[in-house]
Amino acid sequence: MDRHDGFREFVLARQQALTRTAYLLTGDAHLAEDLLQSVLIKVAKQWPKLSVDGNPEAYTRKALMNQYISWRRRLQREWPSASPPERGASHDEATIDRIMLRQAMTKLTRKQRAVLVLRFWEDLTETQTAEALGCSVGNVKSQTHRALARLRRLAPELSDRSSLSLLQEVAV
Amino acid sequence: MTRLRRALNDLAEEAPSADLSGMVDRILTGNRRRRHTTAVLAAVATVVTVVATGTVMATVTRSRSPEVAASLRAGAIADLPGGNVGPLEYAYETPCKVDKRKALDCSSAEWRVVTRAGTTYRLPQALAMTAQNHRVPVSISRDGRMLAYYSRKARAHVVRDLVGGSETTSPVTVKESQIGAGSMLVLSDDGRHVVFDPREGTKKPGLLIDVRTGTTVRVPGQYEAVSVRGGVAELVRYLRTDLRLMPVTGGGRTVHFDGTFTGFSEISPDGRTVAAFERRDAKKWVQELRTLTLLDVGTGRRVREVPIGGLPEGEPVMATGPWLSGSELTVVVQDSKRTYVYGVDIGAGKTRRLADHPNAPYLTLPGIASN
Repeated sequence: MDRHDGFREFVLARQQALTRTAYLLTGDAHLAEDLLQSVLIKVAKQWPKLSVDGNPEAYTRKALMNQYISWRRRLQREWPSASPPERGASHDEATIDRIMLRQAMTKLTRKQRAVLVLRFWEDLTETQTAEALGCSVGNVKSQTHRALARLRRLAPELSDRSSLSLLQEVAV
Repeated sequence: MTRLRRALNDLAEEAPSADLSGMVDRILTGNRRRRHTTAVLAAVATVVTVVATGTVMATVTRSRSPEVAASLRAGAIADLPGGNVGPLEYAYETPCKVDKRKALDCSSAEWRVVTRAGTTYRLPQALAMTAQNHRVPVSISRDGRMLAYYSRKARAHVVRDLVGGSETTSPVTVKESQIGAGSMLVLSDDGRHVVFDPREGTKKPGLLIDVRTGTTVRVPGQYEAVSVRGGVAELVRYLRTDLRLMPVTGGGRTVHFDGTFTGFSEISPDGRTVAAFERRDAKKWVQELRTLTLLDVGTGRRVREVPIGGLPEGEPVMATGPWLSGSELTVVVQDSKRTYVYGVDIGAGKTRRLADHPNAPYLTLPGIASN
């Protein structure tokens, strides 16, 4: 068995989730690919240790967030936000939500986006999110609060409807 | 499911279908592909040769890909010798290797430099990767004569004069563990100062170091160094957007620009103008990254906007490079295959193509901050 088979299996088993997380963070397919590649290089280097006594999933998530947040800011190409593709009935509620969220994400800081993705896309707890971001739970709470408050301002369509309980409950 | 979760879910489904098997193969064979801006930021400087006064003397149009590939294949590349080896054209970092047991070995990653005469040398004294697997940048002065790198042995930055042959080790010790992910290094034109940012994009402060005296000046973490010229460091705080011109002795003044700007150039030879891209509407990002805004660093006023003509259709500018003169600025445009360098007449917005390069990874070129 090739010693890289474990790494290969790990990536291929999680490729969809990894790709989607990277895409949610960057909003651009090419940038998502670059982000993933740079992170997976690190994971490959650490694989001998990770495969024995590590947690490859947690390590990869943390590396992904660190890499994303530390990318240099000279030219920010992420979230180009060209007209998002329409699907099916073009103006149903879900479509509007998606468009509004996509546009609002462009206005968030990287850390705020990362917090939203980890808490509400990956469904991590505050403690797990803090671990992934290398910060305190208190910092996760405050970043989440700011991110949701900003979302409320930027995407009132999201917050005016019935089930905004999440935004309200977390923002307290 | 809450609406936020559902909307995130829907958004995530816009991601392209994932098939990372090709990427895994590339990673395991060390054949990485790089599209990110950082890879091409430095590319522009390969086309200009600048003397100490800042005057452009010549432009060169040639691809480096075969040379890089050849040097990677070559078994016996000499270490950089002492003495005069001539100014550098660029530096690059070698990729990780795969050994006979197909194990990935990144400990072999190293920096190499290529002189203007075309000779490639290994640079084993320059640390390429920290023990924590963070890349360690090198930096080349605008005229290609000075090279700054981090020496593990000295635990400090070293500036080598490639023409005079002298070597100056900074008296300021920097622990290897202080070099974080995305660290940056900027070298002044005269090789006397380096700006070390331990982790660009964070609030960790950087250091402007006088490598001769060991004097240091703290660089606020929210600022990013663009250049150090004529005893003044150009620092940018993105998004707000502020630009600080900080003398190497500290202090300085900050000018605020009303708007959100990215992609700052160095200061124009007129000493009062910088170029940047204004970001107003994320939907129009390509158009915005094809329109330069000239800004007055004295007053913060916009001087004028310059739509750039003649660039490849649909491609945004990836980076600004050195000024060729007071009226011509270089910009970099990239597509999936090549990286193109254009000179832009900032009066009329007309362009002339100066060079095209392969999208080589980890290229460091003269006069541009590297990470």
